[in-house]
Amino acid sequence: MSGTLQSVLAPHGPQAGQIATLAWVLFAFGAVILALVIATIWLAIRGTPHIREALARERTIMVFGLALPVVTLTILLFCGVWLTRAQTGHTDDAMRIEVTGEQWWWRVVYDGPTPATSANEIRIPVGQPVDFTLKAADVIHSFWVPSLGGKVDMLPGRITRLRLTAERAGVYRGQCAEYCGGPHALMGFNVIAMPRDEYEAWFVREAGPSAAASTDVERRGQSLFMAAGCGTCHAVRGTGAAGAIGPDLTHLAARGSVGIDTLPLTADNVARFIRDGQHLKPGNRMPEFRIFSPAEQTALVSYLMSLR
Amino acid sequence: MRIPPQLRIRFILLAGLAALLLGFLFMWSGLYSVAASRGHWAVTEWLLTFAMRNSVKTHAIGIEVPPLGNADLVTLGAAHFHSGCAYCHGAPGVPISPIARAMLPPPPDLATNMRPWRDRELFWIIKHGIKYTGMPAWSVQQRDDEVWALAAFLRRLPGLDAAQYRELALGGLAVPPQSGQSLATSETTAPAVGACARCHGAGDARPASALVPILHGQPAEFIVASLEAYASAQRASGIMQPVARALAGDDFRRVADYYAALQPPAALERPTDASAIARGRALAENGDPAALVPACAGCHGQEALKTYPRLAGQNLAYLLNRLRLWKNGLAPATATETIMAPIARALSDRQIEDVGAYYASVDAHAGARR
Repeated sequence: MSGTLQSVLAPHGPQAGQIATLAWVLFAFGAVILALVIATIWLAIRGTPHIREALARERTIMVFGLALPVVTLTILLFCGVWLTRAQTGHTDDAMRIEVTGEQWWWRVVYDGPTPATSANEIRIPVGQPVDFTLKAADVIHSFWVPSLGGKVDMLPGRITRLRLTAERAGVYRGQCAEYCGGPHALMGFNVIAMPRDEYEAWFVREAGPSAAASTDVERRGQSLFMAAGCGTCHAVRGTGAAGAIGPDLTHLAARGSVGIDTLPLTADNVARFIRDGQHLKPGNRMPEFRIFSPAEQTALVSYLMSLR
Repeated sequence: MRIPPQLRIRFILLAGLAALLLGFLFMWSGLYSVAASRGHWAVTEWLLTFAMRNSVKTHAIGIEVPPLGNADLVTLGAAHFHSGCAYCHGAPGVPISPIARAMLPPPPDLATNMRPWRDRELFWIIKHGIKYTGMPAWSVQQRDDEVWALAAFLRRLPGLDAAQYRELALGGLAVPPQSGQSLATSETTAPAVGACARCHGAGDARPASALVPILHGQPAEFIVASLEAYASAQRASGIMQPVARALAGDDFRRVADYYAALQPPAALERPTDASAIARGRALAENGDPAALVPACAGCHGQEALKTYPRLAGQNLAYLLNRLRLWKNGLAPATATETIMAPIARALSDRQIEDVGAYYASVDAHAGARR
């Protein structure tokens, strides 16, 4: 795996490839039209009276000013519609992942015999077409992983679909591409494409509960987690915490970031987000918890960092 | 003689400047007496009173008056009047302090001599105070609900005799007579101005007003944290801040331990709307995830942190008032309010009533055993 990718011009999957090809054709055609327009303007100013008379003819206007744009734009429209249909339908053999856009995070549910819930990070096997079922919990969001495919809106009360395939292992960055309120700019996520065997191994861990707290500090942290009410909003499968309001924390420490992709995952950053979340991600829905003593905070963070 | 217009303007300007200078010199000389002992001339007094009355009337226009007949409101107002106002304004059986009487203007005895103010004007005066008279503003400007409690009491005040007043203001608290030695050597004052029990009850007595929370059986940590938040003026209450400020040293811990050890008092009357209680119970146990409301029980159950309050058997009026204060925009200031305020804002008016009804209906004894 190399660095994180986020570019329409660096496609890493067939869907993104089709879009990139169409985009390049579009740019090339646009360049030809631009050259044509400049040449015509030049001829209209400097051309011989004969050429200028030809340019001013009604027939010229009808052909180049009306017929040509209608034909080319129609062709483009069909290409676009065909591409959209090809990339937003669902097939039966594809793997399914449901992603719900919420203010301001991503709820990720891996379809399977026992659906596994995660958040803000999506893992897929390389070479496997994945059908995404996209929903919105509150306002319109938009799901976009530029290096893997197109951008599709998530609309409250409707389900939209998108198919993505990663051809190579890597980390592909995605963003919410529709302004959805205050911390919209901090609503990113990563799609991590892994070789199939690694993915299978990861998924077994992901679908299972988190390991029980093993040290004294972690156990203290866990009882604080429950007593402070964290489990009312956050779920940690395998414990009494079953909240469905905020991101699932069962495997928080196996993810790369804290605060919905706001900060890299470190113990310090987890502590900061609990205490100062409204400064790090202003407007986010989690109230700041400034009620913990330093020792309590250490215990709580140790517990959270043990959720692998 | 005709004076040219330019000269006339110059003359006016110069005269004005000279008047200003003279006025300044007069103040600088200190000849004017600011003595409260000398009083005002009758004409000054009339002018000041005239201006004050009209100012109050004008500024009070547009204030909406809530119903003030509520006994809980009157009782709460009475308790605060006793500790915050009676020193200057007197009360039935409580003469105005001679020190306050020597103020200029002397504070009116409100029991016998209140102007016929409208309700909204009383509210405005209590909330904002009156410049140059010594009448202070309400110390916490966000708590209009407390100001209305006092206004409600002032409506009742003129009709009270000394016994009725004591009953209202002291909540039936019997103050044992102190010995001569104790009176001579301790600071305790006979009216028990600071006693928690006047409002919150004690022993097996409930709070005198349902707008006041039941502290019996609350975790001591929660009571201490609340008192600290009031004393440091973080938590907004014009009634509780001065009371908490008057406690010192280990008082917080001692009084908290006392209340924490008390058995919850027997309920007076419980909410009876079964469907509201059922809805409130569902909300308390499961929350309303679609509206981002977490389950109340997650933080207010018996297993929760001791800095969080327990709600089982709490006074309905108190619960509703507290939630509505946040919902209507009271800025959260303490660490726990910061957690609760956004949740209260996410509740609908109906949900507030339901969840209040549920918690008020729960038997606190049963809750304590859970």
